Amino acid sequence: MPTEAPPPPQPPTGAARMGSSEEDKSLVAKTLAGERDAFGVLVERYAAQARRVARAVLGDPDDADDAAQDGFLSALVKLAQYDTHRPFGPWLMRIVANAATDRRRRRNVRQAEPLDPALVGGGPRPDAAVIRSELGARLRTALSELPERRRMAVVLFDVEGYSHAEIAGILKIPEGTVRSEVFHARRRLRTLLADWKEQAR
Amino acid sequence: MKDSQAFDHRPDPELGAALRAALDPKDDQQAFAARVMAQYERALDRATVPTVDVLASWFRPGIAAAAAALIAGFLFGRTVLAPAPASIDAAMALVDGPGLAALVTASDPPDASIVFSSLVDQR
Repeated sequence: MPTEAPPPPQPPTGAARMGSSEEDKSLVAKTLAGERDAFGVLVERYAAQARRVARAVLGDPDDADDAAQDGFLSALVKLAQYDTHRPFGPWLMRIVANAATDRRRRRNVRQAEPLDPALVGGGPRPDAAVIRSELGARLRTALSELPERRRMAVVLFDVEGYSHAEIAGILKIPEGTVRSEVFHARRRLRTLLADWKEQAR
Repeated sequence: MKDSQAFDHRPDPELGAALRAALDPKDDQQAFAARVMAQYERALDRATVPTVDVLASWFRPGIAAAAAALIAGFLFGRTVLAPAPASIDAAMALVDGPGLAALVTASDPPDASIVFSSLVDQR
């Protein structure tokens, strides 16, 4: 039976690693001055992060892309309100998270899709790609079962590398609540990850 | 992976990488960025209105405001410029008949018949 370790750890790509704050400010200023290419650079810079955050909320990748797009365009409309003394990433992620939450509220509440029986019951595991996608499916399902705020907190912290304080600003909750949400989400997800590794042996 | 009970203040790289792989879109970011920019261009086109349209939108409110100002000016001018009576005698002279003069100059309280006849005379 082939065994495949989870993807190798990568450094988080939070606000501090997404590009310098000065570069973001410069791009924002140029966008406000009417330079369309500057906005394009901002979109490319934050696209992956925005799509992941939206997907953490919505689950469905197409819905997530729609929400991320809404978030970017909404940010563009509000760009003049952006306080350049603060980092751009958390400001943008708050808008994207709100767009995703709004979209989720508008659509019918979708129950977590049941796992494919082949994934649950130890069926054949043909290759590494399938095994990896199996873990991805399990994690997405586990995420979808967490309260929305909890899954956003853990994704923003462990995937995107934002600090507790920044996440508190994004989600508009106290910093202590962010810590608690991350803790509970991790407990659930780490258990799942550990079980998966055990089965993969 | 770290102890699941630990309250860790640092990101968990292993969990983060697994979640990232689970949430990352399968396509590249270029297609998504192009889609956002296309939407941005469409929004800009919608927001760009020809100057003549802007002027046209000002036309009707402008006409209405000018008309209102004209009417207000006319009413104000008529009120201010209307000639006032120069004295009480001149005012009395406007009314024919003895009724009103008798009412104003009498030392005793006026009789009701004088008052009424005065009013009737004015009509």
